[in-house]
Amino acid sequence: MNTSLNIREKRFIAVVAAIALVFGFTPVANAMHIMEGYLPVGFCIAWGVICIPFLIAGYMSMKKTLKENPKTITLLAMAGAYVFVLSSLKIPSVTGSCSHMTGTGLGAILFGPAPISILGLIVLVFQSTLLAHGGVTTLGANTFSMAVAGPFAAYGIYKLGLKLKINKHVVVFLAAALGDFFTYLITSFQLALAYPSEAGGVAASSIKFLAVFAPTQIPLAIIEGILTVVIIIGLETYAQPELNDLGYLTGGVR
Amino acid sequence: MENSLGKSINFIRTSEKAEHQVTHHHKIGHKHGEGSAIDFYAYASKLRCWNPTFKVVFSFLTLLLCIGLNNPFVSIAVIIGMAYLTVLKGGLSLAAYISVLMIPITFIIMGTIAIGVDFSSQPIGQFNLFLGFGYLFTSVDKLQEMAFLMLKVFGAISAMIMMTLSTPSSEIIGVLRKAHVPKLIIELMNLIYRYIFILMDVFNNMRNSADSRQGYCDFKTSCTTFGSVASNLLVVSLKKANAYYTAMEARGYEGDLIFLEDEKKMPMRHLVIGAAFIIFLIILGIMTH
Amino acid sequence: MREPILKVNNLHYSYGNGNPALDGISVDIYKGEKIAVIGSNGSGKSTFFLNANGVLKADHGEISYQGTVINKKNLRELRKNIGIVFQEADNQIIASTVMAEVGFGPMNLKLPKEEVIERVEEALSYMNILDFKDRPPHYLSGGEKKRVTIADVIAMKSEVIIFDEPTAALDPLNAQMLEEVLVKLGEEGKTMLISTHDVDFAYRWAERAIVFDQGKIIADGTPLDIFKNTGILEQANLKRPAMLDVYEMLVEKKMVADTKDYPTSPQDLKVLLEKQFKFA
Repeated sequence: MNTSLNIREKRFIAVVAAIALVFGFTPVANAMHIMEGYLPVGFCIAWGVICIPFLIAGYMSMKKTLKENPKTITLLAMAGAYVFVLSSLKIPSVTGSCSHMTGTGLGAILFGPAPISILGLIVLVFQSTLLAHGGVTTLGANTFSMAVAGPFAAYGIYKLGLKLKINKHVVVFLAAALGDFFTYLITSFQLALAYPSEAGGVAASSIKFLAVFAPTQIPLAIIEGILTVVIIIGLETYAQPELNDLGYLTGGVR
Repeated sequence: MENSLGKSINFIRTSEKAEHQVTHHHKIGHKHGEGSAIDFYAYASKLRCWNPTFKVVFSFLTLLLCIGLNNPFVSIAVIIGMAYLTVLKGGLSLAAYISVLMIPITFIIMGTIAIGVDFSSQPIGQFNLFLGFGYLFTSVDKLQEMAFLMLKVFGAISAMIMMTLSTPSSEIIGVLRKAHVPKLIIELMNLIYRYIFILMDVFNNMRNSADSRQGYCDFKTSCTTFGSVASNLLVVSLKKANAYYTAMEARGYEGDLIFLEDEKKMPMRHLVIGAAFIIFLIILGIMTH
Repeated sequence: MREPILKVNNLHYSYGNGNPALDGISVDIYKGEKIAVIGSNGSGKSTFFLNANGVLKADHGEISYQGTVINKKNLRELRKNIGIVFQEADNQIIASTVMAEVGFGPMNLKLPKEEVIERVEEALSYMNILDFKDRPPHYLSGGEKKRVTIADVIAMKSEVIIFDEPTAALDPLNAQMLEEVLVKLGEEGKTMLISTHDVDFAYRWAERAIVFDQGKIIADGTPLDIFKNTGILEQANLKRPAMLDVYEMLVEKKMVADTKDYPTSPQDLKVLLEKQFKFA
């Protein structure tokens, strides 16, 4: 065997170990916002264009709700602010690391997926301006993964589960956790499309991204599911009238 | 007399808050629920009096060039230029600046590794690591690409935070309004921006009160507490939504949310220097292509 | 007989849960009056205010402003002329800079921009907060926010200003600031209605007191008459103002002569004592 390769192997291991060490010291797991600068201009535009139909649908549905009931404007804004605040809170963790919910699963269950696309877009803008999570050029891609795909998946699972008469709290857990998980799949795919692997193309690259983010994102999805259930239980016990109020935001829980 | 007293009280309060947030930011990490440090810095920035449209357009053009030209020299020029503006011109402390710049560091490290390292059943790279079922491999070219990508990402982030660290969100929304973003979205953004801070306050009070009663003593309790605080927060926010609508109606709101905006001067000097920097980036990009 | 600026006639309102929040309220309010609206929590004060401003629409009854009955068409006139300073500043402030916040009302009045700016600056200097102009409300203290909400209403140049429990949650310094502003507004001939649980404040500030209990007005008169009426105090769960007790004790113990010149503040009492003891 070539000894020089062996040295290179050792160096490589050292690098990997060093990186692992860095992870140990930066235990910050955000929801997967693609950062500014990661996507080439073409991808930024393409993802933005893909979001447009969903945003228009959301916009129209909001306009309609507002026309029927003008008071909804402050309610919608509060819903948006709520999702933002929820996503900026440090959630409980076993390891002492610091991570956040996305809140989009809960949002989709409570308010329906249509307004969430617009509210999600606005929340993403504020996350990038106020918290430096995500970015302006990656807004399209992030909107697609976090304000369209995730909420739609969560809402779909929620409705399907209710139809199948599965226990409601289990359904809420699955909707929130899988919604989160789906966002993570989409984000990995978005990154892989922009950075295909030399050896295996987009598919291999997707696997790489999934693998790299799995240690933070999979526990996060599970915790998101649990917390969403706890929140829903809380709401059911002492906020039934308020939940009915939300009914006209094309209703979730009733 | 009474007024000067009020002012001095307020000054103490402001500086306390600043101190708190700066110390909070000396370590890498970010805030949880205390409010947004970036928002606070934006109000304190010396660049706040600059015309917001100029700042938004300038930082966006810089950002686009940084990504579009995809050139390490341009990236470095952007990093230096933006740091100069934010720290030296804007008066933000270097420590605070770096801590904001480092907020997305986890994503950057992980994302960049995934791009730079590849996987195959054969040792086909310059550097290979056998894992039993296949090889992780990379090459000098790949590592260089990783380094350049990191430069580009930091350039892009510094261009964006130049804007966010000097322009309060309400002014950015004003620029979006001038750019003909639909009215409903602008109205929602204005309200959401205000409500975020209201809900943060409510949350902090609830969290502190839960904490004082041992609500976060272990993981399971923390989860229950977090859940009840979060659901309570939603109930409070819905009630506040109604109260707000009432208060808006009482002041003559009839369906159009229009705010008075301050017009800020646009000195020729800014325009010329801004344009020069943009042209410099383009020439630099072409020359070092 | 002078014309009331605001005339409320047999107002009924219910929030839809069966119990009437307002149960036949009739009251005439005259220009320049300083009225304290008192009564326990849930007695209908805030509901009355929101009806008076036209935010809530009464089930029965009518409101006239300067002789004109208010209907859907002239509702804007009513809102323009009757301003409310809400109890919680954080439920009122909606803009992200103080300037935009104070300008919100004038903008809704569709005034030209120059006039809006002029009014905003006037209102801010009135409240001594002109240097807060570009500040966001989320970095203001409670007392500062209260001043902003008062400036909100001043900028609308309302004839009648309603304060919903303005002294709640204010520190002594800010409470004193508030009273100074109230005196200043009173000197300018503004009509003011203030709901409060602070009977001492009501006693020294108001010229007229209206007592609410379970959606009805159970008393309407001078603060002195009302606070001397034990039946009403009991029915509305009110305390007597300390100065009234002190004065009556002094009279009872024959320490001062009963001149019917009731002091409402320690300063008044001091003047009274000095006057009486000079003659004694």
